[in-house]
Order: sequence, then C-alpha cells, then structure tokens
Amino acid sequence: MEDQPGSPELFMFLASTVHDMKNSISVLSGTLENLLVQSQGTAQENPAYPQMAHMLYQTKRLNDNLIQLLALYKEVGKPSYPFEPIAVQVREVVEQLASGQRVLLQSRHIELETSCPHDLIWTFDEDLVLGVLVHAINNAVRYTKDKIRLDIGENDGVLELRVEDNGIGFPPSMLEAGAVVGQGINFLTNSSGLGLYFASEVARSHKHRGRQGSISLENGGTLGGGCFILRLP
Amino acid sequence: MNAPATATAPATPGVDWADKKYLIVDDFVGVRQLLRESLRSLGARHIDQASSGGEAIGLLQRIVYDVVLCDFNLGEGKNGQHVLEEARIRHLLAPSSVWLMVSAEKSVEAVMGAAEHQPDAYLIKPITEGVLLTRLNRVWQKKQIFSEIDQTYLEKDFLRAAKLCDAQIAHNKLHETDLLRMKANLLMKAGEPEQAREVYEKLLQDREYNWARTGIGKIRMANGDHEAARQMFSGVIAENRFYIDAYDQLATSLHNLGRVGDACDVLERAAKLSPNSVPRQRNLGNAALRLGNIPLAEKAFRKCLAIGEYSIMKSVDAYFGLARVCGHKNDPKEALQLLAVAQRDFAGKLVDLRAKITEGLVYHESGDYRRARRSGDELEEMLKSDAERPDTGTCLEMATLLFAVGVKDAPVELLCYVVRNNHDNQLLHEDVQRIFDKARMSDEGAALIKSARKEATEMMNKGVLLWKTNKLDDAVAWMREARQALPDNLRILFNSAQILISHMQAKGYDELLMMEANGVLMHVDRVAPGQQRFAQLIEQLQMLVPGRAASPEEMEAELDAALNEQVSGDS
Repeated sequence: MEDQPGSPELFMFLASTVHDMKNSISVLSGTLENLLVQSQGTAQENPAYPQMAHMLYQTKRLNDNLIQLLALYKEVGKPSYPFEPIAVQVREVVEQLASGQRVLLQSRHIELETSCPHDLIWTFDEDLVLGVLVHAINNAVRYTKDKIRLDIGENDGVLELRVEDNGIGFPPSMLEAGAVVGQGINFLTNSSGLGLYFASEVARSHKHRGRQGSISLENGGTLGGGCFILRLP
Repeated sequence: MNAPATATAPATPGVDWADKKYLIVDDFVGVRQLLRESLRSLGARHIDQASSGGEAIGLLQRIVYDVVLCDFNLGEGKNGQHVLEEARIRHLLAPSSVWLMVSAEKSVEAVMGAAEHQPDAYLIKPITEGVLLTRLNRVWQKKQIFSEIDQTYLEKDFLRAAKLCDAQIAHNKLHETDLLRMKANLLMKAGEPEQAREVYEKLLQDREYNWARTGIGKIRMANGDHEAARQMFSGVIAENRFYIDAYDQLATSLHNLGRVGDACDVLERAAKLSPNSVPRQRNLGNAALRLGNIPLAEKAFRKCLAIGEYSIMKSVDAYFGLARVCGHKNDPKEALQLLAVAQRDFAGKLVDLRAKITEGLVYHESGDYRRARRSGDELEEMLKSDAERPDTGTCLEMATLLFAVGVKDAPVELLCYVVRNNHDNQLLHEDVQRIFDKARMSDEGAALIKSARKEATEMMNKGVLLWKTNKLDDAVAWMREARQALPDNLRILFNSAQILISHMQAKGYDELLMMEANGVLMHVDRVAPGQQRFAQLIEQLQMLVPGRAASPEEMEAELDAALNEQVSGDS
C-alpha cells in the first residue's frame, strides 16, 4: 500500500509550497477585492477599474486551478482522499457562494440570480462541492453576457445544482467533453478539461443508496446560454 | 472583502458577532491583516493577533476569546493542533468558545477521527467573508444544541445525556447525524454496547459512515469477536485510508488475536499517516519494544520526544521507553540520563517509582545484575516508605522485575495487593500465577492468590450484610474501611457508592455523602471506564440532587431494581 505518491521529502516540500502559494493568493485576491470596493464610486472614470476586475478574475482562476490540481494530486475519489460528507443546509451553500463571488461579479457588471428551497438539507462534502461550483461560476463569468443563475433543487431523490448563463453557450467540443467525462476517456488536453475532470471526480465520490453523483453540460436552460449541472444523490 | 455585511448571509438572530473577542493566529502577516479586515466588516472591534503558537498561548492565558481563527501550519514550533490541545487541556477556553482551524488545503486531520481535541470547524484558504460568517453561525447553533448534552457528559451522567440527545433530535434535523453519533458514544461510555450498536446500525442504513462502522467493530471486539472486528476495521481502511481511528482499533484487534507483529505493522502505517501525534508514536514504540524490534522502537520514541517539545500531550512514557531501548543497545549511560530528565520534567511519586523500575530493567537487560539488584533493593525501600500503590499494570511490572533481581517479599506483597483489588478477574489471576511460576513459587503463589481473593470477598460480604440488614450507618463506615484497604477493587467501589446512595434515599440528601459517592464513582471511571453499573449509579446519584428529584414512584422502582441487581450480582 502506497501512503503518498512520491517521496515523503517531496511531499513535505509540496505541502509547504502550497501553504505559501495559498497565502499569496489570499493576499492577492483580498487586496484586489478591497481596492475594487474602495474605488466602486469612481468606477466609471477610473481606467484602472476594469483592469483590476480582470486581475481579480485571473487570481480566482489561479486559485481554482490550484485547488483542483491539489485535489487531483491527492487523488480525489480514491480511498486516499480525505472525503467528508456532512449534512448541510443547502441555502447556506448559496449564501457562501454569493458572498464570495460578489465583488468579482459586481466589478464585471454581472448579475447573480439564486434560487433554492429554504429548508432543504443535503449530505455532501461541502468544501469539494463549493470548489466545483466556484469554478463553474468563474467559468460562466467568461462566457456570460451579463447574467448568471444558480438554481438548486431536489429532483427524484437527487440534488440538482445548476449554474446557467445568458452567453452564447458552450462550444461543441466542450459539450462533447462533458458527455464523455467520467467514462474513463482521457480528454485532458486543456484546463477546461481539468475542471470537468475534477467536477466529475467530486460528483462520483458522492454515493448514496446505490446511486452515484454526476455532472453534465447543456446549452439552453432558463437563461438560454451555457448550463453546468452537478447532481448529487 | 470588506463590503457591508448586510449584503452577505443574513446573520442568525441572537448572535452578535460584533461584540465577541477574536484571536487570529497565522505566521503570515498579510493573511492576518486580511482576516482582521474580514472580522471588522462583521463589526468586530476586539481582535488580537499572534504570529506563532507560543505567542497564541501567551494571549490565551490572559484573555478568554470567543472565537479563535488559527492556521494549522504555523512554521517552526507548535502547530495549530498543538495550540488547540494545550488551550483545551489547560482550560484556556470557555465551553462556548469557537475554534476554527484554517488550512491551505483540505485537511487530512479533519477526517482522521483520532484526535481527541477537534476544532469546531475547518476552513480552507482563501477564506471569504461569506464562508466565515456561515460557518461561525453554524458552529454557534451547534454549540447551543449541544451545550446541555456536553455539560451532562462532563458530569459523566451518560444515560441522561443520551436522553437529551433524543430530545434534541426531535427538532434538529440538520444535526441529527451528529446527535446520533454522540448518543452512540454516550451509550458506549454507559456500558450499553447493544443499544449503541442499534444506533450505529440505524445510521449505517442511511449512509456508510466510517465512524459508525468502526463503532460496531469496537462493540464486536468488546464482545470478544476479534476476527469479525478485524475485518470491519480493515474494510473501513480500504474505503478511507485516512481514518486513523480504524488503524488503532485494527492494531488492537490483531493484538487480541495474538498477531502481535501485524499489529505493530498497522501502528507503523498509522504513524506514517499521522506522524505528529504523541500517543500514536508512544503506542508504536511500546509495541515495537515488546516485539524486540529495537530500531523501530527507538525511532518511534525519539520522534515522540521531538513532538513532545511542542505538545502538551508530551508523555513520560517515551523517556522510559527510550531508556529501555538504550538498555537493549547496551548503553545504560544514556538510559540513566533519560531517566534523570524524565524525573526533572515530570514530577510525582509515580514517576520516581517508574524511573526506578526502568533503571532496574535497563541494568538487567544490559546484563549488569549487581546494579539491577541494587535498583531492586531501592525499589523495595520506596515501597516500604509509602503504602500507596500504583495502577495494576505498574504493580505487575514491578513484581516481575523484583523477582528477576532476586527480591522476594516486596513482589509477593504487590501481587497479593493486585489480586485483592481484582478478586473476581480470572484472567488477571492467571497472569499473576504465571509471574509466580516464573519465580519458581507455583504452589505458594496459588495459595497466596486464593487467600487474597478470600480476604477481599469477606470484606465485601460484610458490607453487603450490614446493608441488607438495614444498618446503613455501619455499612457506610465499613465500606470506607474496605476502600482504604482495597482502593481499586471495582466491586467494593460500586457497592460503596450503592450503599451511600441507599443511605441518602432512606435518610435524606446529605451533601458530604453526595460528594463521597461522587468521588468513589469518579475513581471507578478512571480505573475502568465504560462500566454499565457506573452509568446507572451516576444517574441515581444525580436524581438525588435537590431540585432534580424524580417522582417518588420512579425512585421506588429504581431502588427495587438496584436491590434486585445487587442480590443477583452477589449470588
């Protein structure tokens, strides 16, 4: 039984490097958010404002990718990954996401609509699911015109979490990758592939009463653009 | 990040996060500043900061914080878990204090299930304000739900605490799993494994919880079905490689199956996954030492000492263990140095006694029989000068050593003492007999064991007779004497508490008797935790507290039940 991939020394080195990188990203995104909030009143005439907004977007992407790489390095979905499902009030997921993404969305003039049953409780690994949804929203930021919708609801014993936008929709290659992800086909050719793979591994780690989680990509939905769906049993 | 808090999650009514005292612990100044900004936007005014574990402890000693945000990784020195453990063990936190552990990535510690002191929640960096507020509110609500249960748990009234769990489950769907988990744990502590098993099985119908599966394994093990238990623990590990508690249990089941080498291998794997735990390295060291794997034992004990530098869990056992290793390596000089350090850093009569035992073992194992005999003589003198005796394990160890170095009276006295205090423990009598056999005292030993058992039985029976003939004052007085002579005898201790309770039930509440009974029961729980009779007696005792009395019918029914149990228990 292998305890860690690679040597323990390398693992220790990676762990402390990650610790440093996370600190740096925390400070970067925190500082940018503060600057954006401070200059919100003068956003119209401040040429640096859209540039800072873009920097924040890129910083968030950097953080997402780091989270995903780490989770995949630690083999999410395998017995070696610290998977921890807990009972969560689903609306709290929406609250955490909305507040975490608020400054980024405001700075890019994107409206976030949310919809979720008030008292719904579901059991899942909160940090992993938040990671997947943050990534989906950041992805939608890139494709949307000016609206993103987060819609969570129960459907036939499955929790369905949808991230929709009003952009032009996913290109056919993405829809294809979304259709085959999780079927053991290697599509890791770009970073959206990584994101899909991560989301799929997170979904598949959730098992309940003989059912397993899944993801899918669609075009259309309520807003008529791209639509990412995470289903958890 | 510091936009008005109104735009974020709506605050739970009743929690005013602005008024709380906060402590931020992080070795990175930029992160501390950001967290401070986030807290300020929740309205917080009182925010302190520490850049290291040592600095954090300094502040925690002076101020009781409501919320601690502590990074797990603090560079050199104490890590976040060390700080948490020290704060809890030294009572530097209030029961209502919230501890949020922050880490750079999904923490393995969160799911290990082994650490006794868990933070209230783990947060992953970067921390957004929404996540912070949501988790704070959640933890606060959970603390409200558990506050009476936790308090009753601390009073060790496990049965009442389990009932409180049921009461909370009725209207707290979100925390149902946690409450059931707590209830199962309480039922185990109350010596009701069958009821605990039912709770675990109900949980497992819903979801494959590794702790519930491990809980059932523990019950199987307690019932003596070690092979079934071993399979369950292996199954849990196959599903979740980080669930350390299952490793510890697997090692115990293998040990019980006589597979001592396999047990040691499992502990070694667990120590690799979670290397910074003092108890784990100590257990590994002891297992390796018993197996004669000296290099492994040495590595584990040295690691244990290194972690102990920063941890309040620092253990004297590691010094004794490493001294034994030195003895095996024919280096009595380093062994003696370690024993001197142990006695300097850990004061107490028991430590002196154990240091002397270890010294004798080290000399004996390194072949210096003259010095070993001298240690034995000194040990005998120490025993003569103080009538108090340590726990059973230490007594047996001492007797073995004393026989080996040629002392005779002191080990005989120790072994008789052990038998008197465990007069109905057949397995222990066999162990004692084996020690006599090895000292070539088989027949004499058998006779000694027999008379020691008789002595204890007679003492106990006299107390029961006085009680049954309703001479309650005499019974209470006699049991005090019996406890003096046999301080660790469970039957005597339980009967003592029972008689004290009967006295109060018959003649009214008496604070001194109440404290005496409570003291006796707390001692029982230290000597042998998880006894059914302990939980029942505590529950009866708590009912006697004025203002918490049950109805007269209930009292009568319980008195009857207790009497019946006592009669059948002694027949």
